[in-house]
Amino acid sequence: MTQVLICGAAIVTLSMGIRHGFGLWLQPITMDRGWTRETFAFALAVQNLAWGIAGPFAGALADRFGAFRVLIAGSLLYAGGLVLMALSTSGAAFTGSAGLMLGMAQSGTTYAVVYGVIGRNVAADKRSWAMGVAAAAGSFGQFLMVPVENWLIGGFGWQSALFILGCLALAIVPLSLGLREPAATAATPGQQSLGHALREAFGYRSFQLLMAGYFVCGFQVVFIGVHMPSYLKDHGLSPNVATTALALIGLFNVIGTYAAGSLGARMPKRWILSTIYALRSVAIVIFLNVPLTPWSVYLFSSVIGVLWLSTVPPTNAVIAQIFGVRYLSMLGGFVFLSHQVGSFLGVWLGGRLYDATGSYDVVWWIAVALGVFAALVNLPVDERTIERHAVPGSAAA
Amino acid sequence: MKLRRLGGYAGAALALAIVFAAYLRPDLMLTLATQLWNCF
Repeated sequence: MTQVLICGAAIVTLSMGIRHGFGLWLQPITMDRGWTRETFAFALAVQNLAWGIAGPFAGALADRFGAFRVLIAGSLLYAGGLVLMALSTSGAAFTGSAGLMLGMAQSGTTYAVVYGVIGRNVAADKRSWAMGVAAAAGSFGQFLMVPVENWLIGGFGWQSALFILGCLALAIVPLSLGLREPAATAATPGQQSLGHALREAFGYRSFQLLMAGYFVCGFQVVFIGVHMPSYLKDHGLSPNVATTALALIGLFNVIGTYAAGSLGARMPKRWILSTIYALRSVAIVIFLNVPLTPWSVYLFSSVIGVLWLSTVPPTNAVIAQIFGVRYLSMLGGFVFLSHQVGSFLGVWLGGRLYDATGSYDVVWWIAVALGVFAALVNLPVDERTIERHAVPGSAAA
Repeated sequence: MKLRRLGGYAGAALALAIVFAAYLRPDLMLTLATQLWNCF
């Protein structure tokens, strides 16, 4: 278990961390190549969509052929994508490398794939805690890599910095060998076929509710992450306040994800999820109704940081609890796809409604309403393991 | 075991504090303010 946890946590630290500071390349790349910001932003939007869409496929491949193979392929794709991102001289090539390749690489190297191995190799009573450790490692990677990447760009130039990150992405290859599972757990035909697992999950009310909740998670987190700096700027706060807010979100995110995973081992996960979404809404309502000062921003950032990715361990742990671990990566990938659709809408609606109304107020209140909705839909989630009497298509697994 | 766990928490807290301090360096603050945040 320790080996799986250490290697899994290290992989997620790298895969989540490397991508997190990509915004730092916006100015140097667009200036050097003579591109507009839209070219850069479009590639990153494609990256996020590719990450979500490829997730279920990467998960299904990991469940079928073993996570370590998918991780190795993902690592090579990650490294290749970073190198080609550095060498791209046209917008199309940049979208293909920084967008498509890196998005697919992330789907093969992040939570869903690693959680499948953790789920299969950690005892059920420790699974939520172990997922919390891995999620906290990913959060730490995000927190750590922004200053590291800033230092790399400053010290070596933006292009060499990407080459160095490419080498770093290759470190996932040896680490993934630590997640190599015995054939009996990874590839032996199970009792349930992939098709049946999909039909079962999508026809099961609790899975639909979890997907709805995760959609809200993506909407809120990405709306706040992307649009809060502009919101603060509009209200006359200095850029340093926004930067400190970013650091506080990163710091408390690590603590929150670990705490949520640990709590998941002690209490029903639906309660944790419901509380997280409810608290997000409460925090936003208070934030919008108190005078906006640097300290109110810091307090809000700290609270929202605790609640940031803390949905990840309980959501994945409850999927494992209900459906078992055989197709955990694939099902986790589908739930994450819902998260990414929410993310896309959070970014897009934030900008669209700001342009239409001249303020972020409407989107903030949508985020509040969605938080209440997610808190309510998570409450009736049935965490009991699903009973399977006759499993059609079992021979085809 | 308890001591090991406490050591783990202390190490994690130290790592978080070091990274947080890195964010507060004026050069990184300036870079993030001008490059990362302004793009939105």
